[in-house]
Amino acid sequence: MGMIPSFLLHPTARRAAQITAGLIFLAAALPKIADLAGFAGSIHNFHLESVVPMAATNILAMMIPWVELIAGLALVSGVRPRAGAVVYTLLMAVFTLGVIQALARGLSFECGCFGKAGAATIGVKKVAENLVMMAIGVVGSVERR
Amino acid sequence: MDRWWPDGTETGSRLWQGIFAIAATGCLLGVAQNALVRYGSPKDGLTWRYTPPKLDSLEDVVSSAAAANPAAAAPGGTTPLPPDMNDPLQLGAAAVNGAANIPDVGRPIQVQISKVKALFDAKAGTIIDAREPAEYADGHIPGAVNMPYDQVVTDPERLEKFDAGGKPIIVYCGGGTCELSMNLGFALVNAGQKKVLVYTGGWPEWSTSGYPVAKGATPDGA
Repeated sequence: MGMIPSFLLHPTARRAAQITAGLIFLAAALPKIADLAGFAGSIHNFHLESVVPMAATNILAMMIPWVELIAGLALVSGVRPRAGAVVYTLLMAVFTLGVIQALARGLSFECGCFGKAGAATIGVKKVAENLVMMAIGVVGSVERR
Repeated sequence: MDRWWPDGTETGSRLWQGIFAIAATGCLLGVAQNALVRYGSPKDGLTWRYTPPKLDSLEDVVSSAAAANPAAAAPGGTTPLPPDMNDPLQLGAAAVNGAANIPDVGRPIQVQISKVKALFDAKAGTIIDAREPAEYADGHIPGAVNMPYDQVVTDPERLEKFDAGGKPIIVYCGGGTCELSMNLGFALVNAGQKKVLVYTGGWPEWSTSGYPVAKGATPDGA
């Protein structure tokens, strides 16, 4: 693990990263759970028809926020936090890829990442934000030794 | 354990177990929540299969208007109304393909590229580009006014003051279901604009169709 600076491997840093990641996911999950239809529209904006059948958009919209919520709770509470951090990092990677492919195809829309209220149009800034949030997940998912 | 809090103690199969448990619980709860609101009362929630939001197409709106007023539209029926020579919209529409007027139905109507091109050629429509200024500068439909949705949501006055010169307004953006142009279409109608058309094919379709394009920050591409 030579890529990660040693102070980030400290248990305190790891726990802090887990709590931060958990709070991020809780903040992302709750508005989406409250507005499933809005989130389904947001997913549709990514135009992943060639990867995910369009009919499955609604199923994803139902499941993703709840997986976020459970992973967020695991991270914050410290019950299976490493599993939570892995789920968080993987989901964040998928989201980031989604934004990147949308940008590459010249799509322009509000990402709906934190529900409709904090709507930000996708762009390079969104990608950078996601990468930082992903890095927090990586720090949080390092194995304790 | 040298700390009182648990962190990263899960390894091997325990870790996979946890990951699976989180994913499975989340998926189940999500489906369960939706089922509750879907079959509960009031009935809400998502359908199991996605159906994209649809605007009425111009053809449907025109034909339903014709159905409501069969005298004017019956094939070979009674006298068709001559175009009103004082109405630039009717003149424009007549110049397009002798087609009917764009009806004012109080909501945005979806149009296809052929209609947009016809209105464009006849200069019978006011075209609005709902994308970001940078995308607009990279290329847009000649004559299109840039009105990024993100800017106008914070400045609704701009929508009310927008002067379409009595012509129908055509909104387009980056294609697909094109949320930006749909949103802007509804915002324009709410601001009191009439005859708002949404061209959902948008820039990707127009720019690959070999039709004229303009570059730069101004409508005509200076």
